[in-house]
Amino acid sequence: MEAEKQKLSVTGWVLIPMYRTMRQFITSTFRGRPNTILYPEQKLVLPQIFRGLHTLDFKKCIGCGNCVNICPNECMWLEKVDDPELGKIERPGVDIGRCLFCNFCAEVCPTCAIHLSTEYELASNDREKFRLGPKAIRDDKFADTFVEERQRRPVPVLNLDKCNGCEACAGECPEMCIAMMPIEGTGKKKPEIALPKCTSCGKCAVVCPEKALTMTEVYESYFDMPEPKFMLKNCTGCQACLKACPAEAIYMMEMPGTEKTLKDGKKTKPKKRAVFVLDKCVGCGRCFRACKFKAIEMPGVKKE
Amino acid sequence: MNLFTFCFGLIHWLTDLINNIWYWLGDHLPWYFGDFFTAVGDFARSHSTMVVMTILLEGVVIVVVTLINVLNFIWIDRKMSGRIFDFYGPYYVGYRIGGWLQNLADGVKLFVKEIITPAKADKIGFLLAPVIFVGSSLLALATVPLSPDFAIATNPSGALVPAGVLFSFAIFAMAPFAILLAGWSSNNKYTLIGGLRSAAQMMSYEIPMLLCVASVFLMSGSLSFDGVVNAQSNIWFAIPLVIGFIVFLVCLVAEVERTPFDIPEAESELVEGWTTEYGGMRFGLFMMTDYLRGYVGGALATALFLGGWLGPEPIPGPIWFLIKAYVVFTVLAWMKWSLPRVRIDQILQLGWKRLLPLAVLNLLIAAAFKTMGWF
Repeated sequence: MEAEKQKLSVTGWVLIPMYRTMRQFITSTFRGRPNTILYPEQKLVLPQIFRGLHTLDFKKCIGCGNCVNICPNECMWLEKVDDPELGKIERPGVDIGRCLFCNFCAEVCPTCAIHLSTEYELASNDREKFRLGPKAIRDDKFADTFVEERQRRPVPVLNLDKCNGCEACAGECPEMCIAMMPIEGTGKKKPEIALPKCTSCGKCAVVCPEKALTMTEVYESYFDMPEPKFMLKNCTGCQACLKACPAEAIYMMEMPGTEKTLKDGKKTKPKKRAVFVLDKCVGCGRCFRACKFKAIEMPGVKKE
Repeated sequence: MNLFTFCFGLIHWLTDLINNIWYWLGDHLPWYFGDFFTAVGDFARSHSTMVVMTILLEGVVIVVVTLINVLNFIWIDRKMSGRIFDFYGPYYVGYRIGGWLQNLADGVKLFVKEIITPAKADKIGFLLAPVIFVGSSLLALATVPLSPDFAIATNPSGALVPAGVLFSFAIFAMAPFAILLAGWSSNNKYTLIGGLRSAAQMMSYEIPMLLCVASVFLMSGSLSFDGVVNAQSNIWFAIPLVIGFIVFLVCLVAEVERTPFDIPEAESELVEGWTTEYGGMRFGLFMMTDYLRGYVGGALATALFLGGWLGPEPIPGPIWFLIKAYVVFTVLAWMKWSLPRVRIDQILQLGWKRLLPLAVLNLLIAAAFKTMGWF
């Protein structure tokens, strides 16, 4: 079969292309400048979602280590920092030589403290210069410069120290998403809020007599966070989990009826147990790692 | 004063200077040396020796002028291609003069590179091909005058070489030999195919081109550049012979292997065509000669169709000639960056089925003009 012969016409094959190139030539030479960015002198304005060097907001960061846990290249680590304002804290550092700029650390951060900035000139002669500690990536004002993409909404957050178990919030909630759950061993009740059903109406915070419920804006997470499972029989009340928790989601409560009478007739203080307010939990697993008596289990979290 | 008398005066002055030292040496040596010195000095001062040296000096002048123009042409090509594709082109090297020094920087880089000869190549042919290619392309300029005064002449009257156009085209057509030699001796499939393609293309485009040149000869009644250009003092041949001019330009593009017709070195099919195995400054020479042939083509088109050095008075003739040659080259570069490469069957179809009849038609038109007595 004979191949189809293309018809060569002067207009379509010669004149129109030459007209167009000449038009482009005149445009880029006389009417304006060429489209090229002369890189070292001129630089592109990058979009805000560009993933470059990490920035860390020290005041927002709670040091939970979720970013360290989720990093697929294991290029982040927690480092102890002595800050004049914030005292002794733990903040993450990043090795940009190994980072793949996947943005997981920014997405998993419960307080949106980590962002990937538009800084892209990261090359260096020295591998050691790629290991950036928390002070090197600190930028407390970066988050103010652009609009956060992650959704956030106000939800009631419980301060268990103030709560007296009056059930006013459970009665007020129009969505019936607050249930008073008894805390085992203490004889008290605490409200548990089903956040998926919550409409952020704020009525529970208004009605609370002790102001234990406050409406706080919380970032929605893209990831399923593991939740701690508590086993009362192993708990010794040592408060290690309370000290480890970065989100202040753990409260210690006394269990009445566990006082022991000593030989001299005095009574000891009652035994304490940990109480979890799961609405505040960020799923970092630090309480699980801190507990030495196997009272806390977190499926899906490595114990190290 | 023409180029010959200028160069002759220069040679005369130089030989005087050297001969003074030479004779002074001869005077202060024993007599048997002195006679020898006198004989050599007299030989160097004789008229025929000085004429030969003058002609060589003229050749050097023409080559230097040509190579400077070639540098400009490379710059024009790169800069224009950049602007056509919306980028800057050469920019940083020689910032104040539009990146003009980039060519020199590239040349230095090519000089520094190692020159490799493939182990299984035919050594003599491999070495000879660039020499023939560059040499023939430069030799084609030997008879091309920039103006009646600015040309290689053999006597003080400045008369140009008779049948200079014929000589130029004969030498210009030598390139396929060098290309085929390069392609064959490189011992590589791509180079061989490139060389054979080049031979086929050049042979098929030589005919319509020379028919157009024949029409110019017919109109002017002369075979020398002098006669051809002076015959255009009333009207450029590009206007009555417009068909011939266009056919000539198209054939010229094919002859100098620029992009619409660069199938011998089609990058997408044959890696770099017949220059694939050449590296370093040998490739640099090939590339330089590409533009050099562009200059030769522009000069020929200028002399044959665009009135050569004829132009309004305040601008001297050589400048007019160069301006026209630059314009022709710019059009070639414009075509290079605008048009897609044609296939091997299309190029032969275009050559034999379109350009050849048009060239014959052009010859008929020229004959008709001549018969009517209008020229």
